[in-house]
Amino acid sequence: MLQVNKLSKSFGGVAAISDVTLGFPTGSLTAIIGPNGAGKSTFFNLISGGLVPDAGEVMLDGKNLVGRNRAEIIAAGIGRAFQIAKIFPSLTVEETLLGAIGAHQGHSANLWQRFPLPRTRDKVGHVAGMLGLADKMHVLSANLSHGDHKLLDIALALVLEPRVLLLDEPTAGMGPDERWRMIDRVYQLWETEKMTLVFIEHDMDIVFKIAPSIRVLCYGRVLAEGTPDEIRNSPQVIEAYLGTDHGANAA
Amino acid sequence: MSNETLNAPSRLFAGRPTLKRDVIIAVAAVAALILLRVIWPSPAVTDFAIRVAAYAIFATSLNLLVGYAGMVSFGHGMFFGFGAYCFGLVMQRLALPIPLAILITVASTAVLALVIGAICIRLKDIYFSFITLAFQMLIYSLIIAWVPLTGGDQGLQGGIPRPPFLGINLANPLHLYVFAIVMLAVCLLIMRHIAESSFGYTLRMIRDNTDRASFLGINVYLVRLMAFVIAGVFAALGGVIMALFVSGAYPEFSNWTMSGEGIFMIMMGGISTFIGPTAGAIILSLLNDVVTRRTEHHGLALGIVILVFALGLKKGVTDFAADWWRARREGAVGKQAAEARS
Amino acid sequence: MDLNALGACLVSPSCLVTQTTSGLIIGLLLFLVAAGLTLIFGVLNVVNFAHGSFYMMGAYFAFTVYNVTGSYALAILGAALGVALFSVVFERFFMSRVYGGNVLMQLLVCYAFILILDDVVKIVWGPEFKSMGMPDYFRRPPLFIAGGVVPVFYLFLMGMTVLIGIGLWLIIGYTRFGKVVRAAAVNPQMVSALGINTGLVYASVFALGGLLAGLAGALAVPVRSLVSGMGFSILIESFIVTVIGGMGSIVGALVGAILVGMVRSYGSIGFPLFVEGLMFLLMAVILVLKPSGLFGKEA
Repeated sequence: MLQVNKLSKSFGGVAAISDVTLGFPTGSLTAIIGPNGAGKSTFFNLISGGLVPDAGEVMLDGKNLVGRNRAEIIAAGIGRAFQIAKIFPSLTVEETLLGAIGAHQGHSANLWQRFPLPRTRDKVGHVAGMLGLADKMHVLSANLSHGDHKLLDIALALVLEPRVLLLDEPTAGMGPDERWRMIDRVYQLWETEKMTLVFIEHDMDIVFKIAPSIRVLCYGRVLAEGTPDEIRNSPQVIEAYLGTDHGANAA
Repeated sequence: MSNETLNAPSRLFAGRPTLKRDVIIAVAAVAALILLRVIWPSPAVTDFAIRVAAYAIFATSLNLLVGYAGMVSFGHGMFFGFGAYCFGLVMQRLALPIPLAILITVASTAVLALVIGAICIRLKDIYFSFITLAFQMLIYSLIIAWVPLTGGDQGLQGGIPRPPFLGINLANPLHLYVFAIVMLAVCLLIMRHIAESSFGYTLRMIRDNTDRASFLGINVYLVRLMAFVIAGVFAALGGVIMALFVSGAYPEFSNWTMSGEGIFMIMMGGISTFIGPTAGAIILSLLNDVVTRRTEHHGLALGIVILVFALGLKKGVTDFAADWWRARREGAVGKQAAEARS
Repeated sequence: MDLNALGACLVSPSCLVTQTTSGLIIGLLLFLVAAGLTLIFGVLNVVNFAHGSFYMMGAYFAFTVYNVTGSYALAILGAALGVALFSVVFERFFMSRVYGGNVLMQLLVCYAFILILDDVVKIVWGPEFKSMGMPDYFRRPPLFIAGGVVPVFYLFLMGMTVLIGIGLWLIIGYTRFGKVVRAAAVNPQMVSALGINTGLVYASVFALGGLLAGLAGALAVPVRSLVSGMGFSILIESFIVTVIGGMGSIVGALVGAILVGMVRSYGSIGFPLFVEGLMFLLMAVILVLKPSGLFGKEA
């Protein structure tokens, strides 16, 4: 269970996140929505160790993760994919996954043995298969399509065996068909791996179709939370965000 | 590092590079070079090879930092110079056997690199480059100023004693030649193994995307520090060979120009391959030799060559070779696929 | 190390005056060079490692013009224009090809130019040390302040650099050109989208930066000797100055330059052989405590 209490972060006097309290039950699938600048990515940053909060707690199964370094937060089980995929352009897909798994298993400083260590090979096929990258293992990451970049980015979070997976706009930069394929894959991932999955999304059709629960952020605060129906009918949300434009938003 | 310099891994043979294969190549190369010397005992060739050995070790160590780890050090020459002076001083003053002196040099350099690296690596990007330069010039100034110890701008005076060890007499040019070649092979083998180890791939990950690397739980600072120390130690070994070659040590070994030549060697030879810096060392040494023989306007000629390379070629020699090889293989694979379809 | 001599100087008014003026001269000349370097870095994000060569060329141009015309004023003008022109050529034909690439490539291009220019100078002017001597106008008895010697030329130097500094401040702060330059430093794409020719902006920034270095060279000629390779130590020092003051900050260049000038001046009494080392130590300390320099923007 991921519980965030009274999380706050300001940059030079501007409050990016104010007093945010949210709970994500174990194994839940939640979408975070909100207008641009609402602080969604900042929120992810604060939970995953990318930024240090000014105030508040991030409790994962009762343990407060605030103030811990990135390695500890990852070890605790928070994994993250980014809006702009952070991958290694000069490595192939296979090398990327091998390297990531090796890092997770603690071999990153191993000077004695050649890369890749045999025990890392087994897991690679599994992760690659989950994300549909199995036939692209020897492609250079720099040469992958945008969609595959995002998939690889997710794979890099998955190899760490997270209990909570944070996906920052997994469908960013994609056309409508590709977006649905991506979100389908994300959904399947959630169903098979049974982890707590939180994703940021701008496409309202997708959000309402896929996510059992939704949280709305606006100006760094929680505007509303609930099921798609509750959100759809919430006056604050309609006023602040949906307006008459829902569904037409690409990233 | 900009994407311009990130080249695809260049595989000369299929499959991953194994230690066994690298050792075989190294042994074959050493054997060939020794044979060459036996057939052609020219002092010019001998001297050339020993100098190249020293520079190649230095350049390869620099590329561990620049090419593999993405850490652009402007001051790597400081370890080359420190290695030369440390070895020279130990031999002059402590009268120890050469292998022990080398060991002491390695240990001292490791400590120095640890201290300097711990400070420099706290800084990022261009500031890292600046502070490595600052430390290097600091060491250079120390060498020039501390006349009683280092001989100041005259360099280490009196020559370096070379007591024979294990039947090897480094005062003998042939012995020195073989020693240098073997040292080159051993150093390259070790650095190659490190570059192809898990650690080496961690370096690549840090280079390509430091953020993601840290989000994988990698201790970026520590790994970079390790790379810095390793590179420093090997640079010092290059300095040891140079010190043996000139039987002394000069402030130039630790000057900015040394670092500049190192950068030139790796850029000219190729950042994206392991053997690139060695090729660069050969090219630079050849260039220096040719230019000093043909013209007194050494700087003009070298400068023009560098310009042609930097503005025209923009890539190292082995980078081109790797690109060509890869294109050829992808072409062959494409042909195979086309044939399979028909 | 001679700390006694240093101590003795610090309590002697005449020594204080002499050393402080000397430090100011070094510092103000350095300021001009460093201001050019920091300007180029601030706007183009390029470290112009060939900057010392601009200084050298300014000195040699001034030397030649003075020998031909006998007028120091023309010499200064000639040096400024000559170096500015050269900077534009350097930027347009060489540096612009390696923008946005690996910093090592930029370093190599500059290194190549240093090598070439040092040899060109040797070929055209000869490898031996040259000296211009003091222009007639300044051949006057020096001033004596508190027992310390202050040559008249030093006052001229100080005045000129202050004037140039003010001119620079006015240009950058109050002219349209200055506004465009400042904008390009922050957001080059926007400047280009507004229809301004960024290539022209870059070339003129390089020209201005080079001009400053060339002016410094020309101003230094009466009191320094000329030799091929003289640009290198100036380059290193102006580098230190910009790091201490903050890359991209002209005020920082002034403060850093004066600091370095004083360290050099007093340091050469107390630590004659290790003066360089002192400055690098200072640079290292600043880099550790505040990497962006005293007045630089936080990265």
